[in-house]
Amino acid sequence: MSSTMSHPQNQAMEPVGIGAGALTGHDVHREAPKGPQGLPPSNFYAPFRPKEIAGAVALIGYLVVLCAVWAAMMIFGDWAIVGLFRVLGASLPAAELWGNAIANILFVVLAFVMLLATLLTMGERKWSAFIQDRIGPNRARLPGLKNHAFWGIPHILADVGKMMTKEEVVPAMGNQTLFHLAPAIAFAPAVILFAVIPLSPDFTLWGEHLHIGVAPHLNQGLLYIFAIASIGVLGTSLGGWASNNKYGLLGAMRASAQMISYEVTLGLTLVGLMLIFGTLRLDSMMSQQTGHLFGFLPNWGVFYQPLAIVAYFAAASAEIKRAPFDLPEGDSEIVGYFIEYSGLKFGIYMIGEFVEVVVFAGLFTTLFFGGYHLPWGEGWLAGHLGPTWLAGLQVLTFLAKTVFFCWLSLAVRWTYPRFRYDQVMNLGWKLLLPASIANVALTGVVILAGGMHGAAIMGIVELVILLAWVVGAVGVRRSGKETLLPTESAAASEHG
Amino acid sequence: MPIDTVTIREPDYGPRERLYLRELVRGLLITSRHFFRNLFGERDLNSEVGERQGANLIATVSYPEERRAYPPGYRGMHRLVPREDGKPRCVACYMCATVCPAQCIYIEAGEYDQEGIEKYPTRFEIDELRCIVCGFCVEACPKDAIRMDTGTHSPAVLSRPLATFDKEALLKGPAVSHPTDAITYGKSRRGEPLKH
Repeated sequence: MSSTMSHPQNQAMEPVGIGAGALTGHDVHREAPKGPQGLPPSNFYAPFRPKEIAGAVALIGYLVVLCAVWAAMMIFGDWAIVGLFRVLGASLPAAELWGNAIANILFVVLAFVMLLATLLTMGERKWSAFIQDRIGPNRARLPGLKNHAFWGIPHILADVGKMMTKEEVVPAMGNQTLFHLAPAIAFAPAVILFAVIPLSPDFTLWGEHLHIGVAPHLNQGLLYIFAIASIGVLGTSLGGWASNNKYGLLGAMRASAQMISYEVTLGLTLVGLMLIFGTLRLDSMMSQQTGHLFGFLPNWGVFYQPLAIVAYFAAASAEIKRAPFDLPEGDSEIVGYFIEYSGLKFGIYMIGEFVEVVVFAGLFTTLFFGGYHLPWGEGWLAGHLGPTWLAGLQVLTFLAKTVFFCWLSLAVRWTYPRFRYDQVMNLGWKLLLPASIANVALTGVVILAGGMHGAAIMGIVELVILLAWVVGAVGVRRSGKETLLPTESAAASEHG
Repeated sequence: MPIDTVTIREPDYGPRERLYLRELVRGLLITSRHFFRNLFGERDLNSEVGERQGANLIATVSYPEERRAYPPGYRGMHRLVPREDGKPRCVACYMCATVCPAQCIYIEAGEYDQEGIEKYPTRFEIDELRCIVCGFCVEACPKDAIRMDTGTHSPAVLSRPLATFDKEALLKGPAVSHPTDAITYGKSRRGEPLKH
């Protein structure tokens, strides 16, 4: 509290004469807040203090430690389960196949994807609060720890408790089977989509051959992604239909129309990558994204397909019904397809959304940002630490990148206003789809003419143009002149 | 009757405006700026939000723990002003109860035996749920016996009767005396007892 202020509760009880402050008991003059009207408050450009910078570094350190704990859990858990299979007498190939698969289902899909998605439910509330200059949820406490809000994380437990104890209302006239099945159908594709993402190369730890990622060696990795991602629409449309609610059905129609529209774009943006890497296998794409372009740029998909990244990010956001494309759900004003759902089924729809965020962040990392590869210094690390330690670092890198893209997805969601439905369709069919087709054609021609190297040059030229466009060096001039609205011009002519 | 229709032509934007990639990036930079300032900046707990310093931009005042200062005109709950000897200054004249537009004051008068004052309130109750905090009672009181200078608002209660404050609850705060009190309270200006 500033020194010029004094709280009336402290001051009010002082004995005062009859006239002076008979009503209030204090006559402290309060100054108006500083800063000119209409401008941001005076501290908007205040610099960070050293203590705060230290706090920022510490927080990033915490995040890295969290990712490291996750990575260690995956690697050692994988080793332990493969070893367990060996001890139990399985043959070596069987132990490696089943041990790796089971360990990765446990430690990658359950312990990483599900846990990160759960944390993101609170992250969304807390981060959106920070974006909007609020504090965010900080009231729930863990038992025995009443003095620390733990950044709102106890709210997750409260939310889960609420979801689980709420009454589940089932519409009597709806299709009972499908009504109960739909949340699972919506949720399952999101989870199993993560199976083909490689989190590390194959490595050897204490005699066991391991890899992090459930089935990264799948031949048809990219096709698997297309196939599974398109199942998600079933869950939403069935949910809307089975609840026998007209609004739910309308919401489901909106959702499925949008998802099917953007699936086309989503597929076509990845065709460019398919052409460049010449494979559908994600682990093979990974192994090609190592090394450097022109000696210094990381050899990542981002430098081959910058146009596809923009289109892919938009299409993925629309596909998982988030960011500016959340009009099927439209928490604030539109009645969505899960209008009849309550309790844990509604919770599954909600958490499924965050699982999709994690999965698409992982896919984005894998396809465009080098997956588990460190940007620089991998060769040096491999020479000095050995491949096993490098694999651990690479898992950590993958997790850090995924967490970053989750953050980006949430920041995008809290930055842009929601599209209108016709805008969504226009953007999808008239802009993103032609752009992605053009991208495929251009990439094909360039690869035929110049191979990988030509594609890299094309990508960097595209990236430079895109950045110049964003910075404002290109295309600043407004092409058309601003026209008055007819009513305005009529009014102007009347007065003139 | 024909209806006038107006065809609105939207402003003619170029491809750069139509794609608004630049604006997307700028918007993202603004929100992430707020995000990082609020995430890393230490929160200034100054109750005057406009005067807060530092990198943090959060404008929230977490109410029960942090409180904003009340404005100078804030009245707060009533109190019955005590005399120097601890008895209420009130002489049970019913002025406040009469003027009260919400009729939330209930007074029962009693008589003093020895003192120079005739009457005092045996019961003085204010129903804080009915009170509209207009301050008329304070204005009407001839003896400066009721004031609204506590600066506290009426507390939350669990049942309605608890919001009716009796004399004991209202009689609090510093004692007040005025030079004119002598006439009323049985003492001359020099401090000698008055004759009746």
